[in-house]
Amino acid sequence: MGYKRYIVKRLIYIIPLFLGISILNFSLMHSAGDPIRLMTLGNPSPNIGEVRENLRIYYGLDQPIYVQYGIWLWRFLQLDLGTSFYSGRTVNTIIGMYAWETIKLQMVALILALAIGIPIGIYSARKQYSKLDITITSSAIMGISIPIFYMGIIFILIFSFYLGWFPSFGAHSLQELRYPFGSYFLDELWHLVLPTVAIAWVSMALYIRLVRSSMLEILRQDYILAARASGLSERTIIFKHALRNATIPLITYIGISIGLLLSGAPMTETVFTWPGLGYLYVNSVTQLDFPVIMGINMIITLIILGVNLITDLLYGIIDPRIRYE
Amino acid sequence: MSKDHTKKEMTKKAVKTSKPISQWGIAWKRFKKNKAALAGLFIEGIILFMAIFGPFIAPYPPNDISAFMEGRTREAPSWDHLMGTDYTGHDVFSQIIYGAAPALQVGVGAAVFSMVIAVLVGSIAGYYGGKIDTILMRFSEVFLVMPAFLFLIVLLKVAMTITVAGFGLGLTILVLGILGWAGDSRAIRAEFLKLKEYEFVTAAKCLGASNRRIIFKHILPNVLHLIIVLITSSIAINVILEAGLSFLGFSDPNIITWGRMIAYSLEAIRGAWWQGVFPGLAIVVTVLGFNILGDGLRDALDPRLRE
Repeated sequence: MGYKRYIVKRLIYIIPLFLGISILNFSLMHSAGDPIRLMTLGNPSPNIGEVRENLRIYYGLDQPIYVQYGIWLWRFLQLDLGTSFYSGRTVNTIIGMYAWETIKLQMVALILALAIGIPIGIYSARKQYSKLDITITSSAIMGISIPIFYMGIIFILIFSFYLGWFPSFGAHSLQELRYPFGSYFLDELWHLVLPTVAIAWVSMALYIRLVRSSMLEILRQDYILAARASGLSERTIIFKHALRNATIPLITYIGISIGLLLSGAPMTETVFTWPGLGYLYVNSVTQLDFPVIMGINMIITLIILGVNLITDLLYGIIDPRIRYE
Repeated sequence: MSKDHTKKEMTKKAVKTSKPISQWGIAWKRFKKNKAALAGLFIEGIILFMAIFGPFIAPYPPNDISAFMEGRTREAPSWDHLMGTDYTGHDVFSQIIYGAAPALQVGVGAAVFSMVIAVLVGSIAGYYGGKIDTILMRFSEVFLVMPAFLFLIVLLKVAMTITVAGFGLGLTILVLGILGWAGDSRAIRAEFLKLKEYEFVTAAKCLGASNRRIIFKHILPNVLHLIIVLITSSIAINVILEAGLSFLGFSDPNIITWGRMIAYSLEAIRGAWWQGVFPGLAIVVTVLGFNILGDGLRDALDPRLRE
């Protein structure tokens, strides 16, 4: 079977996965409470029952759940995620407003974590059991033990409250006057520093451990010995021969960690009051805003499925030993 | 496994006591040499002690707000209140001690529960193979791919709606367990796939052992070391997840948890840092303990995996 057929097979395979996850989410969400009751809470109207009934019909919540799901799916296929119960705006608009902030934050953090984590991991593997290696591995295990939200709080305390270097909340300054040097871009960067460093700090620890252990295994193999024997420079051996094989587990892990970070966005974004999908998600769940909950969850599921697909396809490019059968 | 090493140890032992030494004995010897792992065990010992004897060692009862009556809320750490007081006058140090039990219960409970599912799915899929394997692994893929933390939030919201008086820790354990088994089940399946081709399984089959007996009596004991290592790291993950969920407010409000203490501290963390920093340290120390314990157990039980 060729590469193209493999791609088609994977794409088809995504469909039942997506349907399964969306059905699970839809039915769970609908047992999370009655949004109509929440909306009319404390309403003194004497004919409250009638009001509720009308609202239920208005939002389409009076139909059986499988009909509601069918309608949702039909609209989803036409790229329409419905309308928020509360703000009255379409979910597409709302997600469009918030998604960029989340993607920006996670992308910068991921790049930072990889740019620092990979070299440290390689160094640590080359100097195994040296003092620096032991320091690195013990700080890495410290790193994976810190919850991201706690790291964020510590950063805010030190760098925002006591030193006053960075802002403690939001993605932009509220007034244009407060932009550093009057530049919008610099203001964005200024707000990005603390949250990205907090996220990168924790995920970097995982990358260091991963790169170190796979490099250690690779450096012991015969082909590295052969490369050394043929007099190649250390730089060529590490970066051209060893690192290429170490990228395979790395890519798998990057794929997994994008999913984990996106799904953990509620925690990070709550700490930094970051106007992203995670922050929006927590608010929507407390308000029982069904279309928004469903929209965010499905967008993130689609991103994760897409990342998984890309990971699978990258294997074939990086590792010629893999055959698609 | 380095056979020479084991043999040397065995002969040494044999000369001294002339008693046979088990695999577990060898693992324990290796474990004892690892200082970091012993430190992890020690930390967890302290946390466990706090969890069991909390009411006896905590200086103040859980609902004590005498400091509030004296107008000493949000007071900086002092000899009276080692870690200060919070906004209603609770002693932070005592609250941290009371928070140990829920953290351990959820962490260990969820890890064990998800491991039971993982062992059942992984062993059946790995042993029988074929169609059963395909179906079970497709099923586990749903759980691997879905954004688990987002689902956790919705599930706990459901729990908060259907229970009026507070849902306790059981539901958090259940929910974390249901969403956390997929990765571990794959590791166990892989081990079963390998082990079922071994001679001792063929021998058991020839003697007429049933499939159930082969899975649970013959193969499972050989996977036990992997299960122990996986459980330890899964406890660490579950403690972090539980802290995150209660930080966001998706936990029983009647139970003191470290995550909830941090959440409450946020509104005045600028002036009263001790309210949030100390509970967070408790989380970090507990998780760190399980992580180094897990690394140590892996090195001791399965030296092939040593880095």
